[in-house]
Amino acid sequence: MAETGVPVGVGIQEDSGSAATDLAHWRAVAAATGPADRETAEAGVRRAYRDAGLTEPVRILWADSPRAAVTLLVRLAGDDELGSSVRDVVRNGPWAEARERLHARLGPSGWGAHWNATGGRLWNTTQMLVDRIRTGVVEDLAAPSRTVAGARDRRSETAIRLMLLDAVFGQHEAAWLSAFGSSDTESDSRLDGLAQVARSAGWWWPYERVAVVCERPTELHRDEAGRLDSATGPALAFPDGFALHAWRGMPVPADFLAGLAGLTPQRIRDEENAELRRVMLEHFGYDRYLTESGAEPVHRDATGILWRVQLPGDEDVVMVEVVNSTPEPDGTHRTYWLRVPPRTRTAREGVAWTFGLQADAYEPQRET
Amino acid sequence: MYRQGDVLIVPLAEGAVPAHVRDAQDEPRDARGRLVLALGEVTGHAHAVVGPGRLVREPGPFGPLLLQLPDGGRVVHEEHAAIPLPKGWFRVIRQREYVPGSVRIVAD
Repeated sequence: MAETGVPVGVGIQEDSGSAATDLAHWRAVAAATGPADRETAEAGVRRAYRDAGLTEPVRILWADSPRAAVTLLVRLAGDDELGSSVRDVVRNGPWAEARERLHARLGPSGWGAHWNATGGRLWNTTQMLVDRIRTGVVEDLAAPSRTVAGARDRRSETAIRLMLLDAVFGQHEAAWLSAFGSSDTESDSRLDGLAQVARSAGWWWPYERVAVVCERPTELHRDEAGRLDSATGPALAFPDGFALHAWRGMPVPADFLAGLAGLTPQRIRDEENAELRRVMLEHFGYDRYLTESGAEPVHRDATGILWRVQLPGDEDVVMVEVVNSTPEPDGTHRTYWLRVPPRTRTAREGVAWTFGLQADAYEPQRET
Repeated sequence: MYRQGDVLIVPLAEGAVPAHVRDAQDEPRDARGRLVLALGEVTGHAHAVVGPGRLVREPGPFGPLLLQLPDGGRVVHEEHAAIPLPKGWFRVIRQREYVPGSVRIVAD
């Protein structure tokens, strides 16, 4: 499913709503796509500099993606136009102070509970995006090694990684900002500039004389668990074409997806990379694969049907076929497939395992 | 025990509830005032409980949530029939599936 649109500009200060409203707001900020609000973002950048006791940057430049930003920054650094990074003063200082203050007020366990109720909810999904973008930038920009085929030139890779360390993550700072800016804590004015940029743009790089700010993605496709996921194109794409491809969170090559349309059981069996083979199977559909490869069910009971497929040079694929208890609007019952460990012997054991239970302990009295 | 889609709700004896849970901070209710057991990131569809009760998160990768219903309640979801629950404590378990080399949460 596509996610589009820009979150409604609910400010932390004017929002007198509940913690849940704040969390929903920051969740939307983290996943926002579409053009940045450049005027608001630039005002936020200037404010963050002023609040940190710095002179505003001489120039604020825009880049269409983190990859484009790093390319631009490498060039500007080479021409000695940036000055030093001021990320520590602009972001880390105010961050640490806000966290310290909250920690002192709430105590260690209170802080832990507060984080769990706020930033902790957003952390995994946003951090995963940050990590994937970083990796993508390095893969796209690092020069190939001149001595080892297929490897990257270490010096070039290090230069890019160092540049990535200077980034402030804009919209992807949502987890921390939700913890500092929840309605049961006073808004921290020294974070307002950072929050303003987060609500209106992507990543940004603050240096003494120049700040470089990124556009947000044009596309973001995730599954219900928040993992990057698209079978039909990039799961994450920026205006300049910088893109990441993924299937249920697993990074896949861009050209791999194009080949999914014409899959056959034979092509799936011939794929040597086990992870890609798993993606192929999921995309092709376990049920189709079972039908077309003439598999027989291994076991059947009240919980579902257990299937086993042998793959050459790989562990068996063992699945439980489960029928959704609630009928669809047209009266049919949707069937779904869950992969379970290869040692599974009965359908009940398989379904019980998906909930972390032993077969004899799994006995639901109501299922919908 | 009760299953609604990819969530299993398992009764827990009063004596089995860890001591620290009694004083733990409750999970906040959502904007509609519900206790959310599991939320779909894209659709926003949620397995949720309406009415009085507490929800406490237990740390850990699948850390079950613990749900306390002093008067019983109902668990609802946009795509599943509601299930009435008796009063008491419950573990809330998210369904997972096997991935060679790891395990992942089911997201339906």
